[in-house]
Amino acid sequence: MAVARQKPFVIRHMPGFPTLAIVCFFALYMPLVPLVIYSFNAGNNIALWEGISFRWYVAAWDNELVKAAAVRSLVVASFASFFATILATMAALGTTRTRAYRGQTTIYALINQPLMVPEIVTAVALLILFAMIKEATGYHGYAYLIIAHTAFCIPFAYLPIRARLEGMDKTLETAAADLYARPWPTFRRVTLPLMLPGIFAGAMLAFVISLDDVVITEFVKSAGQDTLPTYMLGQLRRVITPEINAISSVLLLISVILVTLIFFLSRNKTA
Amino acid sequence: MKTFVTTFLSSLLVFASGTALAAGELNLFNWGNYTNPKLIEKFEKEHGVKVTITDYDSNETALAKVRAGGHGFDLAVPSHSHLPIWISEGLLANPRVDQMENFKHVSEQWRNPDWDPGRQYSAPWQWGSVGVVVDTSVYDGDINTAAIVLDPPQELIGKINVAPEMLDVIHTTVLYVGGEVCTTDKAVLRKVRDKLVEAKPKWKSMDYGIIEKFAGRDLAASLYWNGAAFRARLKNPDVRYGYPREGYSLWADAVVLLKDAKNVDNAKKFLNFIMAPENAALISEFARYANSIDGSEKYMPPDMATANEIIVPDEFKSAGQFYPTCPPAAQKMYTAIWTELQK
Repeated sequence: MAVARQKPFVIRHMPGFPTLAIVCFFALYMPLVPLVIYSFNAGNNIALWEGISFRWYVAAWDNELVKAAAVRSLVVASFASFFATILATMAALGTTRTRAYRGQTTIYALINQPLMVPEIVTAVALLILFAMIKEATGYHGYAYLIIAHTAFCIPFAYLPIRARLEGMDKTLETAAADLYARPWPTFRRVTLPLMLPGIFAGAMLAFVISLDDVVITEFVKSAGQDTLPTYMLGQLRRVITPEINAISSVLLLISVILVTLIFFLSRNKTA
Repeated sequence: MKTFVTTFLSSLLVFASGTALAAGELNLFNWGNYTNPKLIEKFEKEHGVKVTITDYDSNETALAKVRAGGHGFDLAVPSHSHLPIWISEGLLANPRVDQMENFKHVSEQWRNPDWDPGRQYSAPWQWGSVGVVVDTSVYDGDINTAAIVLDPPQELIGKINVAPEMLDVIHTTVLYVGGEVCTTDKAVLRKVRDKLVEAKPKWKSMDYGIIEKFAGRDLAASLYWNGAAFRARLKNPDVRYGYPREGYSLWADAVVLLKDAKNVDNAKKFLNFIMAPENAALISEFARYANSIDGSEKYMPPDMATANEIIVPDEFKSAGQFYPTCPPAAQKMYTAIWTELQK
């Protein structure tokens, strides 16, 4: 074909690409640098450097409120990412390992709805709905937070799992069926092990998203259910000490570790 | 790490059982970083009640959650500007704060505020004022005037911050040009607009968080709240707080009992508890604002009991007033001026 003869279109070689990329990365990551640096500030101040120390990390570790909020965040994120991953795995199988059917695109759009609808809309909707349930049942436990987090974590778990499934060779499953494996053993011995990296990546992404959520949590939480982000939000109007920087840096570190793991797990599929 | 694991596991248990121990509980819904842990510890010890604090960050969020119902809170701490809304919407129970044992400690001027006539619904938490903060090493003239930010002296130009709060800024300016708060008089509002538009280029910023900036001498003046001015002075001894003689606004946060509270008895105990002078002093010691309780000065840290930022000098007392949320017509014009100012 005539087209093939032309110089291949490589986006990285477009004029201005490196500049634009550098500007974008700068805008994304630059604000984090002072945040992390000042978390090591020896002084009481978030803008006045007084030497290096770990005192704010110690202060955050000794702060019972921070500890309780961190535990709460981890519990909610663990449960929410667990349930979201199971549901997302089933959804991914249902949208890739079937013959094309009517309404498939609609289902795809519905699953990814939390990515499109503004978070504040979901938050207010959940506030109203859960308030009715809370009044009717008198139950104020963590289930509301976990259900809400599960719901908005599903697309984040779904996308990497689906990507993994789409990249997998379907002939392997066909071969298993040819060798008289029934659907369940095929799934357990062939499909599941192959899609496992996608599942882990999805679970971790869901975990990070749940860990970082502010808006929905703020509206859904009942008495005594402040998570780390909503606790931090409450501090902002008053005195801010580098303790907030220290907590943020730890959250950032957890997120970076998980995202790095996701990267390596999802890279395997092409290797 | 071991404690961490134990707490993790025990919160799993709480999750599993749904509700925690039912007896002896109290749920307080308050502004973040506003409640002294020592106060809570003392209350828990004296009354054998487990207190849970949950944070909010704006009057609107708190109101939205309580309006929706099913929130599980017993007490909340709205600001005076919003308290009439809570009362008129029937969100509150009436615990007759005015008949409680410790009500006798509430100062005379706080017994019958406009926003809670007869003080039946709310027990005082903290109050403060909107004034001017000045670094006197930069400017040592008269600071008890809003001219500091609206007609700034030469020395302060370019070193001024203004709190990004619409009502505080516009009320201050209306009073400065001689108008009445919540006015819809176009002539007055035109003066207000012109004054603000003229002053804005002389400001450096419109931000929260001034304490660090006064400590680092990045700012020399600000329109701000008295408690922050006090904390700024502790870090930079040249900082002083001025009460605009043209008039300034006061604000107060007060504790109210919610209509759908589950732990009514404990909540009433708490309302009475915080009106005792030694307990009110604990509230002030933490967030550094004045309370409304006579005799609490004795228990406050010595640097606070005499602070000009906390104890309003007699000559400026009458200039300070509480202003309600303005009626929609005025609110609309205020917003128009505010939007223009943000450009």
